[in-house]
Amino acid sequence: MRVSATAQAYFTGVPKPAKLLVSLFFIFLCLIAFFGTVKVSQATINGFVTGSYLGLGAMGLTLIMGVMKLVNLAYGDFLVAGAYFTLMFTALGTPLPLSVLLAILGTALLSILAEKLVWRPLRNAGASTLQCFLSAIGLSFLIRFTIQFFGGSESRSFDIDVLSTMVLGPFRVGTQQALGFVMALAALSMLAIGLWISGAMKTMRAVSDNRLLAEVCGIGVGHTIDLTSLLSGLLAGAAGIVYATAVGSFNPNFGLTLLLSLFAAATLGGIGNIYGAMLGGLVIGLSQEWSALLLGAKWKPLVALVFLVLMLLAVPRGIFARAPRRP
Amino acid sequence: MAAIRNRMLPFVHGTCQAVPQDLTCIDILKALDFNRVSDTKWALPMSLFPKAAIFIGCLVGIALVSVDAGIANAKDMFIGALIEASGPMSEMGPSVEKAAKLAVSVSNIAAKEAGLDLSVYLVSADSQGNPQAAVSAARTLVDKGVSCILGPATTPESIAVLNGVTLQRRITLWPQASSTRLRAVEDGGTIFRTLAPDDLQSKALVRAIETYVGARKRVAILFRNEPYGDALSRTFRSDWEASGGTIVSSIAFDPTQQAFDSEAAQLFDENPDAYVVIDYPDTYARLGAALVRSGKFDPNKLFVADALSFARVPKSIPARAINGAYGVAGGSPRGTPAYRLFNELWRQAGGAEAGSYAANVFDAGILCVLSAIEAGATDPELIRQKVREVTREGARQFTLETLAEAVKDAAAGRPIDYIGVSGAFRFAPNGDPTSGLYDIFQYRNGEQVTVRQIDVR
Repeated sequence: MRVSATAQAYFTGVPKPAKLLVSLFFIFLCLIAFFGTVKVSQATINGFVTGSYLGLGAMGLTLIMGVMKLVNLAYGDFLVAGAYFTLMFTALGTPLPLSVLLAILGTALLSILAEKLVWRPLRNAGASTLQCFLSAIGLSFLIRFTIQFFGGSESRSFDIDVLSTMVLGPFRVGTQQALGFVMALAALSMLAIGLWISGAMKTMRAVSDNRLLAEVCGIGVGHTIDLTSLLSGLLAGAAGIVYATAVGSFNPNFGLTLLLSLFAAATLGGIGNIYGAMLGGLVIGLSQEWSALLLGAKWKPLVALVFLVLMLLAVPRGIFARAPRRP
Repeated sequence: MAAIRNRMLPFVHGTCQAVPQDLTCIDILKALDFNRVSDTKWALPMSLFPKAAIFIGCLVGIALVSVDAGIANAKDMFIGALIEASGPMSEMGPSVEKAAKLAVSVSNIAAKEAGLDLSVYLVSADSQGNPQAAVSAARTLVDKGVSCILGPATTPESIAVLNGVTLQRRITLWPQASSTRLRAVEDGGTIFRTLAPDDLQSKALVRAIETYVGARKRVAILFRNEPYGDALSRTFRSDWEASGGTIVSSIAFDPTQQAFDSEAAQLFDENPDAYVVIDYPDTYARLGAALVRSGKFDPNKLFVADALSFARVPKSIPARAINGAYGVAGGSPRGTPAYRLFNELWRQAGGAEAGSYAANVFDAGILCVLSAIEAGATDPELIRQKVREVTREGARQFTLETLAEAVKDAAAGRPIDYIGVSGAFRFAPNGDPTSGLYDIFQYRNGEQVTVRQIDVR
């Protein structure tokens, strides 16, 4: 009883992200006790790989949901666009690293075009959430079928060695998967530093909290939304490429299958928080891979979503959400 | 005029197809004498309205009648094909479409040689590997007046098309899906398969493993968690255990997930002597890479089911994930004149290489046409009733080489026994073949090489 009371007292003052990390570590230790270090550690490595592209994608999605208040169902197709832009540039003879950069920029351009041609006119016309939601579905189909028309519907892959593996003692991880994980961390770091230096995160948070008040205070709301579109496009492009690199092959429908996990990661992290989205992605990735040990691989997607529901019951506004302001 | 007007009444009431085809639009307008013009000035536009409406209706009606006449003409026959042009089975789409086209062109030539005034047309639609899309595609085909439907390639699609479209209209469905689950649904005798069901494929897999790895070995199964994978894995487990072997693990995976590294690692947990993978090409591109990355993968221990059978390995599948692997798929008797002729026709046609079940699709198309000729009609239900009349054991036998003679006999109403390129068809009461010839193949340098043929009953 006394131990329990002490633990309760300890956890009361601990921030939510730290609680989550402690809980994850506790689950990790329990799994090791049942399945052994090698199996669980390998599953954890696989979970980090899955979490890297989920987290990267969720970062862009959470910005859109936070700043633009938009449930963008077309977002998964921006990831697909990133992967197919890379294919297109490599087919034109551009070296792969340059193709990756151009593809990320191309996806950002596509995101800005969507903002200028679809979302802004809808906002100006006072479109409701439902109307924006339906427009997002339409845009999703438009992007997907355009890609399918030009890129074909069959599975494609980059001209890279997806079989190359790094062996670390008893653990193995695909070289491209490790590269994808590093790319995700690098993107998160660069974004965090860029936003911190420029102060853009503060303006985004202001617009997210109260758009009218932000405008009255002299914040360029239009520019902030443009910046959000640009960043979400860059992140979507990078996430699509990391996915295509880590998984090895892809088709124009992969955005649709990823979308639910991306929304789950963004919601779990707390809407509008990029660090939360990254952590949310990693938590989803880990829960999927760990659940395969416990219940079998076919339950992976279900367990991840059940875990999400449980987490949201515990922390409804997400792990990194700020407490609502009191008037 | 009164007579014409009486004949037009159904048209006026909206039943456009009742319009006699010998009427011209002018006849119709002349016949419709609406002398109800009022004396009042404002009534004039109202009086014009019915005539204008009838005139437009007349144009639309005649257009519909002319389209309908083309379909309803007994000399024309439309065969539908649900092609996997996109989706997880898109690798087999081009081969299936080419086989269906070849069946249609060969039928037309045979009909002409037999002096029969029959033109067969192919109407195809993309079923996308998705049950909902397959139903929509099947409705498109039915709207175009098809008499039977070749495809689709997966069991969920076939069940959806059966329940949503073909069962009510009594249209025969000739799926390339081999799952035994397809027999769990009530089809009213409308489903015929020219390829053997998976309970036979399971036996072929058992014999392949016994031949190339050994009997009574420890085998692991990795299968996609949907009807095809689930049913085949269960049947295989039962057959393998009945033969004295052991199943060390049976791992189901969700084909919609992104990565398969955990599943790949689990496959090797018990250090099996062989592994059976039941998957589609699209997913195997990712799963195969994960198997190789596990570091424990030996392709010579891998046995794949028919959905992973292709003449040439797709680019998306890493070579190291499949070269050396064995597999089974429905085969055709090699060396027969019909087989040689089919291969020659296939080569001359150019385009896609023959994939698994190309000959079976071709045979399904031919059987459909022969049944229509035997029935003397393109009505789907009459065709359904005649399928067994063109594959009747003991009747005069015909092959692809003697197709024109088969057409003559069928047109005379005599039962025939068409021996297809993929073999003779002895349909069980449920519409499945009672035996199957299987190729045991191996992938060598990115190409499929048949190493043996086995007859499974």
